[in-house]
Amino acid sequence: MPEAFATAAISLQNLTKRFGAVTAVDDVSLKVESGTLVCLLGPSGCGKTTTLRMVGGFEEPAAGRIFIGDEDVTSLPPYARPTAMVFQSYALFPHMTVYDNIAYGLRARRAAKDEIARRVQDALGLMELHGHEKKSPPQLSGGQQQRVALARALVIRPKVLLFDEPLSNLDAQLRVRMRGEIRAVQKRLGITSVYVTHDQEEAFSIADQVAVMNAGQIAQIGAPRELYRQPADRFVAEFVGLSNIVAAELVEHNARGATVRVFGQTIRSRRPPRNPDHQVAVVLRPEALRVEKAGGAGVPARVLTQAFVGPLVRYTVTAHDGTVLTVDLHNPGPDEFFAEDTPITLRLPDEVPALLS
Amino acid sequence: MSGDLLVLPQRWSATQRQRMALGALVALELALLALVGTQLIRVQVVEDRRDLVGEVETIHFRNEIVGDPPLLGLILVGVGLPLISRRLRREPVLLVATQAAVVGLIVFVLWPLAQVFVEGFKAGQGAAGFSLIQFEKLLEAPMVARAVRGTLVIGVTSALLSTVIGTLVAYTLTLTDAPWKRWLSILTTLPLVSPPFAVSFAIILLFGRRGLITYDLFHITQYDIYGPHGIVFVQLISDIPLAALILSAVFASISRDLEEAAEDLGGHPFYVLRTVTFPLVTPAILTAVLLTFINAIADFGNPMLIGGGYQVLATQAFIQMIELFDLQSGAALAMLLLVPALAAFILQHWITNRRSYITVTGGARTGHIRRLPGWIKWPLFGLCLFLAGFNVLLYGSIFVGAAVKAWGFDYTPTLQNTYGLLNSLPMLRNSLIVSVGSGLLGGLIGILLAWLVTRQRFPGRGTLDFSATLMYAIPGTVIGIGYIIAFNAAPYFWTGTFFIIIVAYAFRRLPVGLRTAVAAQKQIDPSLEEASLDLGASRLRTFTHITFPLLSRAFFAGVIYIFIRSMTDLSAAVFLNAGRTQLFTVRMFRVMITSTPSEAAAFAALLIVIILIALGVLSKVTGKSFVDLFRV
Repeated sequence: MPEAFATAAISLQNLTKRFGAVTAVDDVSLKVESGTLVCLLGPSGCGKTTTLRMVGGFEEPAAGRIFIGDEDVTSLPPYARPTAMVFQSYALFPHMTVYDNIAYGLRARRAAKDEIARRVQDALGLMELHGHEKKSPPQLSGGQQQRVALARALVIRPKVLLFDEPLSNLDAQLRVRMRGEIRAVQKRLGITSVYVTHDQEEAFSIADQVAVMNAGQIAQIGAPRELYRQPADRFVAEFVGLSNIVAAELVEHNARGATVRVFGQTIRSRRPPRNPDHQVAVVLRPEALRVEKAGGAGVPARVLTQAFVGPLVRYTVTAHDGTVLTVDLHNPGPDEFFAEDTPITLRLPDEVPALLS
Repeated sequence: MSGDLLVLPQRWSATQRQRMALGALVALELALLALVGTQLIRVQVVEDRRDLVGEVETIHFRNEIVGDPPLLGLILVGVGLPLISRRLRREPVLLVATQAAVVGLIVFVLWPLAQVFVEGFKAGQGAAGFSLIQFEKLLEAPMVARAVRGTLVIGVTSALLSTVIGTLVAYTLTLTDAPWKRWLSILTTLPLVSPPFAVSFAIILLFGRRGLITYDLFHITQYDIYGPHGIVFVQLISDIPLAALILSAVFASISRDLEEAAEDLGGHPFYVLRTVTFPLVTPAILTAVLLTFINAIADFGNPMLIGGGYQVLATQAFIQMIELFDLQSGAALAMLLLVPALAAFILQHWITNRRSYITVTGGARTGHIRRLPGWIKWPLFGLCLFLAGFNVLLYGSIFVGAAVKAWGFDYTPTLQNTYGLLNSLPMLRNSLIVSVGSGLLGGLIGILLAWLVTRQRFPGRGTLDFSATLMYAIPGTVIGIGYIIAFNAAPYFWTGTFFIIIVAYAFRRLPVGLRTAVAAQKQIDPSLEEASLDLGASRLRTFTHITFPLLSRAFFAGVIYIFIRSMTDLSAAVFLNAGRTQLFTVRMFRVMITSTPSEAAAFAALLIVIILIALGVLSKVTGKSFVDLFRV
């Protein structure tokens, strides 16, 4: 199995899909470099699954083209495409054994018997499934079913792997472990993958690039760090877990950056605003804020709630003008615990990576 | 798939190859169509030259191409419509399946029905244009006016009575703590699976002029079972189980939580019954009324046997068509019968398609057993017990009748009645051929259509579903007449062939097979089929390796249901079978009219045994009890 895959890049060009009057995917273009994993991240109904299903051939685009490598696959049915999908429900055939499930794609291709046996054994080894061949899918645990689904997809050596929220049926701990396994296998085989999820943490931990989708369009695409540090708009910022978005007053700006005022404090942005004529806002990352005893320099505020979650304390505080902010205090010292309703001082960062409009 | 079908130059792109394959496929279909749709016929031309050369007649033959242009045009539409969908164009197997379904429904459902209307509005054989003369003629005939009235009287009376009694039976057997509920359910459902006219035959055995109960037991000679009251009586026996089945499904699904919420909010039990329970079952009650009405007006065998000259439309149409061979007035009568049936069906469709009240939430507590006061419970129980006992008596009398010398006169046990059966073995074989054939065909079409309707999105899907379900409402007589008009002449000459009987039965019972398959298909995760396609299996392989194995139980249930209904049908059979293809039920019907009751009883007994065997097999295959099998 771990022989090299003939993988290929994916290119989506101006894809559009409508269901009746609803435009589910609206003019989406996306390039997935060969060997990388791209996550489509977004809330339910944003078009991420529809986009994935168009790549797999299950939905017919109303407009646009899909290329895998140099081949235009837009009008090809699913079985003629070099893709393999791992389904949300795993879609393991309940009337077949684990072995027959994995062998299914090879048999459909009329591979030779010994070839099938060899490759299924390889796949079983790769996914650590030896000893389960004779079982039927319902006899396996959720994690094992997930592995069979992955083995079944990999065994046909697809050029492209597609994942449709593959972990949503697993419990929290298993989810973390399985996403590690999926990423390890994907990297080892160097296979181009598209991975759909609505879980920001999952997307960030597994992807080379994350495309955040909203209302049928890609709001922003970039490496996880890039999205987190420089979200393109309010939607992306909120979706990647940044809820502290505060309106700011633009003081001055030039090509190298800008200065804004927030709660009466001056903050520098390392990038100029995209549109200086509009109202700007800053994203204050929870871990960039600090709370201190009331009285020092900073923004007067009051603790609303306090939650201790092990490595950090999460506060929600109200600033003097009523704005509610989240503050994460990592490794808090003994003098950094504040009871609810305590007046405190909120310290803002001196600098933010970018501004929102 | 396209690459498998045709070897095409490799230098072409996949898309180009696909287009070529599609073009070739459509060309092939058109060629096939031309071949099947037209026929080269040797026509015998007799020229009567008597006036010229005395006694000489010259006979010569001419070859003629005969076709059916209007139907061919419709088929072309059926072949062409699916081509609109881009999705279907790119998948040849899917395309052909859809085309086959559309064409099948056009040719074997819509076309024969349309023919009934076309023929009924003709002035006479071969006449062109639109005319109401048939209806004027019919309505002037006192027989027909009586038949219209009779049909409506019997339809309405049996629908209302059987729904009321069926509701009581369903309530007792699903929601009360009455004893022996399991056995009572089975015994009260019994008449659903017997040939319908066996009931009237058994009634005659018991209550006829030499009936066991009327003559031998009570020595009544004045009473006459023949007539409208006899027909209604017999209809009740077969329709009460139907109404009870429809209602017990709903009673069993009523959430106890709803009633408790109503009581909790201060509702007195009778107030709750009126404001919550009853409104919840109203749609089902209306459905029961309409379906039993359709059943009652469609029935042919029972009025023939027990009507005693009382005419209904189904029997009148038969007389016009088969005995007087007046195609046009037969069609006009069929139309009179079809209109109320269709109206009832469309109404029923509309009722069930509105918001269904049946709650399907997982946690709801359903089928709560009510503790009723004795003065309500025991009369209800008595009613069920009486019906069950009566059914046992009916079927018992058939078996006893088959084993005695001459029912009504000489009750000595004998085997002599089996001789008649031995002579009828060819008809039994015919019936088995037809029923197995229509079962398999109907089951397959049901699975295919269910898959199309639930899994594929295409314009006209609703229409397809409706056309497939339409046959449920069409009386067998009307189907028989429609098929004769549509397929009796050139280029088909299909009447009297096994082919046409099989096709007629398959499409006639398709609605139930379809509903079973749709229910089963909805249980299957659609991503299973997608996974198969995604792994490189073609549509065909996906269907044979994934879809069909997972649907096989529903398929066999459909096959056996259609088998049973085909074995017991009489109303379409009398029109469609011919000497060589005479069916067992037709033979049995003749025997009932012309021979001794005991001889006829042997026929009915054999048929019932065959049905019970089929039911046993069905129950083994699906793992369901006999009663559940008919909850469709």
